[in-house]
Amino acid sequence: MMITRILEWFGRLYIFMLLAFLYLPIIIMALMSFNVSPFYQLPFEWTTDWYASLWQNDQLISATWNSLEIAVIATIICVVLGTAASLALFRYEFRGKKLLQALLFPPIAIPWLITGTAMLIFFFGVGIGRGLFAILLGHVALALPYVIVVVSARLQTFAPELEEAARSLGANQWQVTNRVTLPWIMPGVIAGGLFAFAVSFDQFVVSYFLSTPGQTTLPVEIYAAIRKGFTPEINAVSTIIIVVSMALMLLTARFFKFGGEK
Amino acid sequence: MAAQGAIASHNGLRKALPWLAPAYLWLTVAIFLPLSAMVFFSFMTDLPLSGKPWAFTLGNYAAFFSQSLYLTLLLASLRLGLEVTLWCIIIGYPAAYVLAKVLKGRSREAIFLLVILPFWSNGLVRIFSWAMVLREGGILDTALNAVLPFKINIDLMYSYPAVIIGLVHSYVPYMVLTCYLTLQAIDDSLIEAGRSLGASRLQVLKRVIIPLSMPGLVAGAALIFVPVVGSFMEPRILGGRTGTFYGTVIEDQFVAVFNWPLGAALSFILLAVVLVILAVASPVLKRAN
Amino acid sequence: MAGVQVSNVSRSFGAHKALDDVSIDFADGGFYALLGPSGSGKTTLLRQIAGFDFPDSGRISIGGESVERVPVEKRRIGMVFQNYALFPNMSVADNVAFGLSVRGEAKAVIATEVQRALDLVQLGKLGARRPHQLSGGQRQRVALARAIVTKPRVLLLDEPLGALDKALRVDMQIELKRIQREIGITTIFVTHDQEEALTMSDRIGILRDGRLVQEGPPEEIYDRPKSEFAATFLGDANIFRGDATGNGIRLPDGTAIAADVGDRLAAGAKASCAVRPERIRIAADPGVLDAANANELRGQVSKRIFAGNNSTYFVERAGQTLKVIVQNTGMDRLAEGQDVVLRWSPESTVLIAAG
Repeated sequence: MMITRILEWFGRLYIFMLLAFLYLPIIIMALMSFNVSPFYQLPFEWTTDWYASLWQNDQLISATWNSLEIAVIATIICVVLGTAASLALFRYEFRGKKLLQALLFPPIAIPWLITGTAMLIFFFGVGIGRGLFAILLGHVALALPYVIVVVSARLQTFAPELEEAARSLGANQWQVTNRVTLPWIMPGVIAGGLFAFAVSFDQFVVSYFLSTPGQTTLPVEIYAAIRKGFTPEINAVSTIIIVVSMALMLLTARFFKFGGEK
Repeated sequence: MAAQGAIASHNGLRKALPWLAPAYLWLTVAIFLPLSAMVFFSFMTDLPLSGKPWAFTLGNYAAFFSQSLYLTLLLASLRLGLEVTLWCIIIGYPAAYVLAKVLKGRSREAIFLLVILPFWSNGLVRIFSWAMVLREGGILDTALNAVLPFKINIDLMYSYPAVIIGLVHSYVPYMVLTCYLTLQAIDDSLIEAGRSLGASRLQVLKRVIIPLSMPGLVAGAALIFVPVVGSFMEPRILGGRTGTFYGTVIEDQFVAVFNWPLGAALSFILLAVVLVILAVASPVLKRAN
Repeated sequence: MAGVQVSNVSRSFGAHKALDDVSIDFADGGFYALLGPSGSGKTTLLRQIAGFDFPDSGRISIGGESVERVPVEKRRIGMVFQNYALFPNMSVADNVAFGLSVRGEAKAVIATEVQRALDLVQLGKLGARRPHQLSGGQRQRVALARAIVTKPRVLLLDEPLGALDKALRVDMQIELKRIQREIGITTIFVTHDQEEALTMSDRIGILRDGRLVQEGPPEEIYDRPKSEFAATFLGDANIFRGDATGNGIRLPDGTAIAADVGDRLAAGAKASCAVRPERIRIAADPGVLDAANANELRGQVSKRIFAGNNSTYFVERAGQTLKVIVQNTGMDRLAEGQDVVLRWSPESTVLIAAG
């Protein structure tokens, strides 16, 4: 019993150390974004100057708008296309269905470096070129499989008899979808949408290869700034990004359990 | 019932198509055609669009095999992937075990969420945050010198360990996630059964728990190894001059040297390596289902 | 083989007393059932004996050796779990071999012993199968073979038949009993099924709210329950409450009920009498009932449930519903609403101190 207690205590300590490893750099970055010294010198002196100066940085602001715009549009497209595809995969039996489901995994499993450079080559080859439209094309393609997987998982908990029951009561296909199926899978759809937004808003690699100097997103702009040299301004904007993306995921978790229990 | 099923499958595709087509067309245009185009371009001397003359060639692949630099870098990237994966297992598996088998109830849910939360936040920014901790005069340096009686210089920035630390930080939540899912599916009574038969904790771990959680370990390893082999941003930021890997060379072909066909060939070789790894991992994963 | 002694064992989880000063002696080679409703502490007690959990106070010994601080893997017990807990990553033979293998036995010895154990549970040919390829009853047998192959000192069974359907359950009860006799191992069996406890065990311990309510052979507990709870939990009983008279009780309406069984209580104390439904005779005409059955009540049949070989009558009497079970002899069926006389003997009546 002593051994069990000691092991449990040790386990908790271990998790605590892992959490420290995961969060300390982020917390330090956030703290430094409020520090007066631009060279991260201690002692710590509080300031919000770096956040204020973000407002003067037109390049960052326009990149932020681009990121938000693309993320919102990509989310809408992904949710609509993804939900439709999930419903079709759930409702209908046909040959090749397994293949279609398997095709969702390459976009998730292949490193973004490969997908990104491949998109660059292809979009250039067919005349789409680089820029915000190309980035949007890429983001939707990367996020779409996640949406289909998440919505399909939610559909697995849906009893098909409910659709049949609605039909027997005289509802047509559209009414069945609208009033029975969609309300049930709504948590999955919302979670999928939040996922899509996060994938797009945080996406760096693919955006990096598809952006041009004027048409770029926030992470790409930050990468360029980092390579020029560290500044507290990057800390400030990075802190904002990390807070936003973590808040998004907390929201997603509220709608969709990541754990094994459905 | 069987006849009905046949009719359903005959009509099924026609009914499903309007719902499926938009999503899959999009994936085709933005993923599958680009991947095919990349293979195609990797056999060309130059891009057909730039107006310059072009021809088919095996030269890009010949370059890979004739210049030991590329092979060396690919091996370096594979080694990086292996090391990062191993560290993620060493750090992540015990954490997943504690989460799945020691913690209970609400605290488990909350801590699990906390562990995987960073994974879904911006990777670039998280890598950047390490720069501040690791550089000379950075937080680690200052903190250690404040505690230790003697003066040491911790300047891990722009070094191989820095790249490892950053990548492990980025990917360890993945390992925790996949291992947690398989570990929490193991019934506690299996562990008790093992011990009632006279096995020690260690024997139960070795002979029951690890074999049963193997699918999670393999899935986590594949999901970490594959992107790490193709990483370029992390080595660039944390590795500096020592951070030249296979991924950074591919990046260079596209954004600095503008030798796209060579870049495509290098990308395709990486893709082949990735596919082989996934193929090796898939039997273990299939067995889990 | 060895007996198990549990002495004054208590165990609390927070404010909840899962076991409260429980003492029970499991003799060598016996077949014991621990019976109780869920939350009664029966599984907690079994886990204390197994060594998955340790008592806050009290002693547990196996074969005379004190084990309350010995971890489970060193106790040399065999356990069968409710869901069988077969290792899904191993074949049937590897499952059975596990205990011998972690002990470091030679391969040849393991092979022989495993085969012998599988033969004993009549699964000699299925060693190469995986657990998921087996039926529920077969898994049960594998779990049993795995638990006994290491020649443990005690066999512990945690509701092992709970997951089986009725017919298979009865088969397994017989089978389990046969194997237990064959190897003569001390067996402790947790169940909430009173029928299972009655048919299988040499002795039964009834638990309630962490306390041992009564312990003894099945017949004794059935015929001489020491509490209303024991009377109603093991089998069915009609309970009458009143004041002790010296040889029975007096009901509030003045009716006397004589009881020859149970404690002698001081006159005037609060007491109850328990009577099994099948011990009561029922008739419309008192003349056909044996006058030697001294206890007599009158009532009205409110309901009759026909169950093939027997019928149950519910009889209303002074605001109480009494239950009477009668073998179907094909004669004297009573109708609902009919006035009836009930008679039973004092030897069938158990006097119980009010708890």
